[in-house]
Amino acid sequence: MTAQRPALDRRAFLRLTAASGAAVVLSTAVGIPAARATTGGLRVYVVVTDGMRPEEISPLLTPRLHRLKTEGTWFPSARSLPVMETIPNHVMMMTGVRPDRSGVPANSVYDRAERVVRDLDRPTDLRFPTVLERLRAAGRTTGTVLSKDYLYGIFGERADHRWEPFPLLPVTDHAPDAATMDAMLAMVDRFDPDFVFTNLGDVDRVGHSDLSGTTLRLARTAALASTDLQIGRLVDHLRATGRWERTALVVLADHSMDWSLPTNLVSVSTVLRARPDLRGSIQIAQNGGADLLYWTGPAASRQAGLAEVRRLVAAHPGVASVHQPRELRLGPEAGDLVAYCRAGWRFTDPTPLSNPIPGNHGHPVTEPIPFLVAGGHPQLPRGAVSNLAVRTIDVAPAVGAAFGLGAPRGGYDSSVSADSLRWLIPRR
Amino acid sequence: MTTPLPAVSRRRVLQAGGALTGAAVLGLAAADPAAGTPVRPAFAHGVASGDPLPTAVLLWTRVTPTPSATPGSGAGPVVPVDWEVATDDRFRQVVRRGTVRTGPDRDHTVKVDATGLTPGRTYWYRFRCQGVLSPAGRTRTAPADDAAVPRLRMAVVSCANLQAGWFGAYRSLAARTDLDLVLHLGDYLYEYAPGEYQARDVVVRPHDPPREMVTLADYRRRHAQYKADPDLQALHAVAPWVVTWDDHESANDAWSGGAENHTPGGEGEWTSRRAAAQRAYAEWMPVRYEAGGRLYRRFRCGRLASLSMLDLRTYRSEQVSSPVDPALGDPGRTITGAEQMDFLLEGLADPAVQWKLVGNPVMVAPVQFPSTLDARALQGLEALLGVDLPDQVGGLPYNVDQWDGYPAERAGVLGHLRDRGIRDTVFLTGDIHSGWAAELPSDPLTYPVTGDSLGVELVCTSVTSDNLDDIVGSPPRTTSRAVETVIKGANPHVKYLDFDSHGYSVLEVTPAHVQMDWFVLLDRTNRSSGAVWSTSWRVAAGSSRVIPAARRLS
Repeated sequence: MTAQRPALDRRAFLRLTAASGAAVVLSTAVGIPAARATTGGLRVYVVVTDGMRPEEISPLLTPRLHRLKTEGTWFPSARSLPVMETIPNHVMMMTGVRPDRSGVPANSVYDRAERVVRDLDRPTDLRFPTVLERLRAAGRTTGTVLSKDYLYGIFGERADHRWEPFPLLPVTDHAPDAATMDAMLAMVDRFDPDFVFTNLGDVDRVGHSDLSGTTLRLARTAALASTDLQIGRLVDHLRATGRWERTALVVLADHSMDWSLPTNLVSVSTVLRARPDLRGSIQIAQNGGADLLYWTGPAASRQAGLAEVRRLVAAHPGVASVHQPRELRLGPEAGDLVAYCRAGWRFTDPTPLSNPIPGNHGHPVTEPIPFLVAGGHPQLPRGAVSNLAVRTIDVAPAVGAAFGLGAPRGGYDSSVSADSLRWLIPRR
Repeated sequence: MTTPLPAVSRRRVLQAGGALTGAAVLGLAAADPAAGTPVRPAFAHGVASGDPLPTAVLLWTRVTPTPSATPGSGAGPVVPVDWEVATDDRFRQVVRRGTVRTGPDRDHTVKVDATGLTPGRTYWYRFRCQGVLSPAGRTRTAPADDAAVPRLRMAVVSCANLQAGWFGAYRSLAARTDLDLVLHLGDYLYEYAPGEYQARDVVVRPHDPPREMVTLADYRRRHAQYKADPDLQALHAVAPWVVTWDDHESANDAWSGGAENHTPGGEGEWTSRRAAAQRAYAEWMPVRYEAGGRLYRRFRCGRLASLSMLDLRTYRSEQVSSPVDPALGDPGRTITGAEQMDFLLEGLADPAVQWKLVGNPVMVAPVQFPSTLDARALQGLEALLGVDLPDQVGGLPYNVDQWDGYPAERAGVLGHLRDRGIRDTVFLTGDIHSGWAAELPSDPLTYPVTGDSLGVELVCTSVTSDNLDDIVGSPPRTTSRAVETVIKGANPHVKYLDFDSHGYSVLEVTPAHVQMDWFVLLDRTNRSSGAVWSTSWRVAAGSSRVIPAARRLS
């Protein structure tokens, strides 16, 4: 479960003081100018409000986001893609390809080589080029400000400038949004990258643990208001520093959130308890609303065994569906079967106590996400609502197109046409 | 059957041009053979179009080739009827034409599927029989499936009892120029004899034939009587209709094996009666349906919306006897039938369209009637719903003829929406002679706190059929207000309820919202009564919530 940190042997470190007075440490790839003269031209900021539900943007609770939603372009049909987890959807945002090409289908997988269930948090886990290094190769500067430790891990040194999340809160392994926004503003001020990719983790992290999630959502509501303040800080700062008029700000979530009662649990281990032959042949990577099942038993009994596992798991009242990974465009890293739970349920494996948190995602009910494009760039549409069926995967082609970057080898796996994406963010 | 053709004559153009001015222009009347003038056909029942697809639309008329060929008579010759479709109202640019034959075997009705048309385009059409031109009608094809459609606007109507009043609702709608479609959710006509069901105690217009319709000839004559109404003809002539039936197209509270208003033996076998009703419906309605076929079907409006039209009478299990009947929860009972349920669920899950509209004849939102209603109000509700509500102490009753009577299947539909995170589902409903805007709670127990909703239901009121004030004999908007308040209190997901008004709705669909405007008739018993705007409710995209609209549609 422990992340193997990428070596930082080719980076220079810079210690800055954020506007809030906190210290911010940024690292920069060797060879990149420490600063550049402020010039005109497009700046694109993609901010992920991790785990936010689209209906949580409202005039009273999240006034700054609501204003961006109404002043920019809002995409009510936006959705996350399988598996509706943080790491794969951030990877899809930055690569524009599905997990069967990137190698990153879920947060948690069973690593057959190492024979361990682990997070996909290593730079080598991501097999496909991202727009971060592709833009860099095209002469643009890029930055990542990612609040979660495993995101910092998997994106490694792909961006020119990056921030290591700090301080990391215990248990959640993420930095609070205030610290993350401190770092983003410091990076924008110091390096003014053409493109910055930021993850705000509070809404998700608080949502996972909100014991009133099925009803009052007290902690969640507080986190939403707090995250909205940080979005407001960003907008205000961009305005105050004269950057707003060249800004395209994309705000979206990687997935949403669903809460379950303690009684609504699905444990595949328990389902297979009466069949030790099957239980002993299956490894389980639990992803909250989705379980990834890996056959590790004898090859001769694989087909029949998986069919039986599928039948038993699908019969559970809390299971919505069971899929072969290729149906969902997940690669071999996703194993042999992917089980989704129904809304209001969660998986807990390998034991019935493994997943005590009420808030989960990964299952289809958590597909709808907020997705908006705002900013002061004069070519951005104002006050528009588009029913374009955008997905997380469409961020990379939209950002790439804005900077004149062509498609990667093999093309993007966009859900909408390239023409539709071109107007998402204006050309530089 | 379809060939290009040259421009039509000036005389026909003039005849056609008058058809869209509000009150429909009838075809030439048949001459009196006794007077020695030649017998000429007549188009006495107007023209209609329906079921628009991107490249096709269904055209309809009924020709009376000789005076004796009256509806339901089985008399009259087989005659050829020409049809043509043009891109202009003067028929200078005719793009499709053809000839079909009709005769007494189909009651001299004509149905043509005009194909090869351009998506998202307005057309004009008309018919000709033995030199006599029909009125012209205006229609419109659906946009291409992948088109980005900025707006869809449609009329939404149901429950038009001719005996209960005049069709001022249809006339008001026909005067509009902004309708892409007319959606009729059922009870297009009623089966009752004169005096059996009217406007309170007044038979405004007696039904023909003057008896409950039971035989094929009865159903044909009744359809013909409705189609002779000039307001109905006018609305058919201005836009394509998409229709489904509810129960009164056959008999009250119909189910797969019978109906409340059917007496086996005395009125024959139900299957025979239903077959007659369905055959007359297929003949007389502008619908891509033939008797014995499948009425449930789906339409697309580009990427903006789909419209799944349901048939909730043909396949349903018998209604339970009361809301406390233990059979209510039997998971084997169905309102849709298995195949139609698969069809519905598939349409709801379609990721290619934003708004999933459902043409839903009876209400899907759960409605519980609280025990604090007085006896008079309860009796009125019993009459309105056509069900017996049991003693209040025993529990909270509801209408078992709606989806409330089939809770297992409704749970399946709502669970489908919930588990798959499906957004932007709107049920469009008729049947209940009242206006409603309601949300569909994700979990009724936590809804009052979370407000989590899976979709929205918008219910249009009746064109004329009696509702609560009519039944209890109160002036409109008096005693019913208290009942509405109590019901909304007991059902917090019900946001709007009007138990008294008659009229119609107009629905607008855009990428940003769905909005329904309700219009109410001032006096359904007054032939020239107008309609006024009443209220507007809006569903923001992605929200699954319904809120008061800031203003009516412009």
